[in-house]
Amino acid sequence: MAIEDKHILNRLYFVAGCMFVFVLAVVFKLVSIQFIQGDKYRDLAEERTIKDVEILPNRGNVYSADGSLLATSVPKYDIRLDAITPSNIVFNEYLKPLCDSLSKFSRKPSSYYQNEIQKARKNKNRYFLLARNLGYSDYIRFRNFPMLSLGAFKGGLIVEQKTKREHPMGEIALRSIGYERFDDDGNVTRAGLDGAFGEQYLRGKSGHRLKQKIGKGQWKPIRDNNEVEPQDGYDIYTTIDINIQDIAHHALLEQLEFYKADHGCVVVMETKTGEIRAISNLGRNKEGKYYERLNYAVGESHEPGSTFKLMALAVALDDKVIDTSDVVDTEKGILTYYGKKVRDSRNGGYGKISVAKALEVSSNTGIVKAIHNSYTNNPKKFVDGLYDMNLNETLDLPIIGEGKPIIPDPRIKNKRWSGIALEWMAYGYGVSFTPLQTLTFYNAIANKGEMVRPLFLREVREFDKTIESFDKKVINKQVCSKETVKKLKQLLVNVVEKKHGTGHGLYSENFSMAGKTGTCQKDYRDKEKLNYISSFAGFFPAENPEYSCIVVIHEPDKSVGYYGADVSGPVFKKIAQKIYTDTPLIDEVETLNVANSSAETQYEQYYDTAQKYKTIMPNVKGMPTMDALALLENMGLKVKINGIGVVKNQSVAKGVRIKKNQTIELTI
Amino acid sequence: MILFISILALIMIASSHSADKKVHEIARLNNEVKELRSIMVEGRKKLMGLKMQSSVVKKMELKGIETSLIPPKKIKVKSQSK
Repeated sequence: MAIEDKHILNRLYFVAGCMFVFVLAVVFKLVSIQFIQGDKYRDLAEERTIKDVEILPNRGNVYSADGSLLATSVPKYDIRLDAITPSNIVFNEYLKPLCDSLSKFSRKPSSYYQNEIQKARKNKNRYFLLARNLGYSDYIRFRNFPMLSLGAFKGGLIVEQKTKREHPMGEIALRSIGYERFDDDGNVTRAGLDGAFGEQYLRGKSGHRLKQKIGKGQWKPIRDNNEVEPQDGYDIYTTIDINIQDIAHHALLEQLEFYKADHGCVVVMETKTGEIRAISNLGRNKEGKYYERLNYAVGESHEPGSTFKLMALAVALDDKVIDTSDVVDTEKGILTYYGKKVRDSRNGGYGKISVAKALEVSSNTGIVKAIHNSYTNNPKKFVDGLYDMNLNETLDLPIIGEGKPIIPDPRIKNKRWSGIALEWMAYGYGVSFTPLQTLTFYNAIANKGEMVRPLFLREVREFDKTIESFDKKVINKQVCSKETVKKLKQLLVNVVEKKHGTGHGLYSENFSMAGKTGTCQKDYRDKEKLNYISSFAGFFPAENPEYSCIVVIHEPDKSVGYYGADVSGPVFKKIAQKIYTDTPLIDEVETLNVANSSAETQYEQYYDTAQKYKTIMPNVKGMPTMDALALLENMGLKVKINGIGVVKNQSVAKGVRIKKNQTIELTI
Repeated sequence: MILFISILALIMIASSHSADKKVHEIARLNNEVKELRSIMVEGRKKLMGLKMQSSVVKKMELKGIETSLIPPKKIKVKSQSK
């Protein structure tokens, strides 16, 4: 049997050999995984459980001058429904109540939601949108709706949270507060201050940190070092005053609606510092509603019309080629230069008037003639005068998209200069400025000739620490001589105060203001399309100007009105009035202890009477009702009176004994 | 020796668990902060809408009260102001 034994042994060797080879193969594979491909797999494992997380910083807030929030980031919620998750029982039971709640929330009929949700369930839609961009309190409300309150696994609730920029003031000043918006292609829209300072201050720096996956979808940081902390964005404090802004916005809105205008803007600026207290830009949409459409005040350069006469006069007065008392002939209201006509708004003109009056009544012919006579031989000098007042420069504003000023120059060949350019410039045509640029000049006149740059930003802060603060920046220390400023200021005051002034309709006894009206034609090359730009620029109070303000309204309905004083003036006046009534008048007295002898004796008499009479009726004739009332009621009597003043008669005579709660009638 | 090492291991496990717990807590609190912030902003928005002069004027018109045309007067006593 030995042979058979060997036979078995051979088989055994064979099997053992196979196993040995197999083991070798396993060992070889292990070694190759561990050492040859090891790095690759270790990386893969790490990738699954460890990641480098980017930590997004919080965007800074935008505040108004008094610390009210103008823009901040808050979480917003999208609510979706997984229409398949709820079981049939749950779905059938809660569908109707859920739709009722939804319809109550959105005012769409409940049946609409029932249809849509049922359709979604049939189409196996696991991502059906119920509501978008909900605030927190609405989100809580949604969570408590039937079915959704069962949560994600039974009710199919899907919540997506994202951070959105919110403007607590709503529509008001939206364009100027601004935003920074990224679209899917990575393009950025940067409007207003939020946009302008987004990159520099608000955005902050994102950090990153290695994290390891742990339960519940959370990641835990692995190491304390080797990471970058996120830096939250800084807060910016603007110069906007929400009270003035509110008034400006609503006053402008009212006027735009009344005159059915296309768009308009208003800017209020603090005279001394150039801080912008309010800026409103409203444009009309297709339905005729107004909203903050574009930043017209900053971006829209247009022909200023009559408000530019002030600049023209400033140059002429400073060059001493004209004085306000010079007389010009307005020649029946029509002048002709190279076949083109300059007309006055009043038919027949104003006859022979002084230059001062020409500005006050806003005579086109008067101003044009004065400028023509002085500069026709040397128009370069006039243009240089405008350059000297920095009118050809932009204001270098942080807000993106400032319009460029245009001034024709005979030395520059760009087809802007022509034989009538000087005359047309004199009353504000052919030149072009943004409302803010015009305002900056008016502010310089109000500020004794010192031209300051409009300031939107006061401070950049990180909590309580000031990172950077912005002070007033002077563009031109003295745009024209003090004497000229004084004259111009008086002219602007006269526009409102003098009976013949174009702004006299705005005159108020209570407070003073000064300014210039402007009614400028727009699209005048085509008579059919002719429209107007109504503006009013000025400052208040007239004596010691604190604020300057410009109102520009484009394309008011001609059938309702188009004169600057009627269309734009009232907005200006409302703002001036508001600021006036908000500042208390202060009366100072030396001391409170002033002895007033007559009051003193009267008081003593009253005191004596009150001490003496307890049960007997005193004489109250001739006493002020207030005193008599107090006296008698303290004695426990009921008093009937019929007016206020001094007591003339009493129903119970002096000296009569009285009872408690007896009624006394006093005739006043 | 083994006892000591196993105690150390226990402590290690416990502390890593407590760290995990803290991460969850932080996430929860972060959410709460966000929620409270949005409540605050919502409240502020409402307040701002209510306290703006234009809305106060509208409400007061119903009661027949108008904005004053003259500013308030403040009387300052010199001897008492320091």
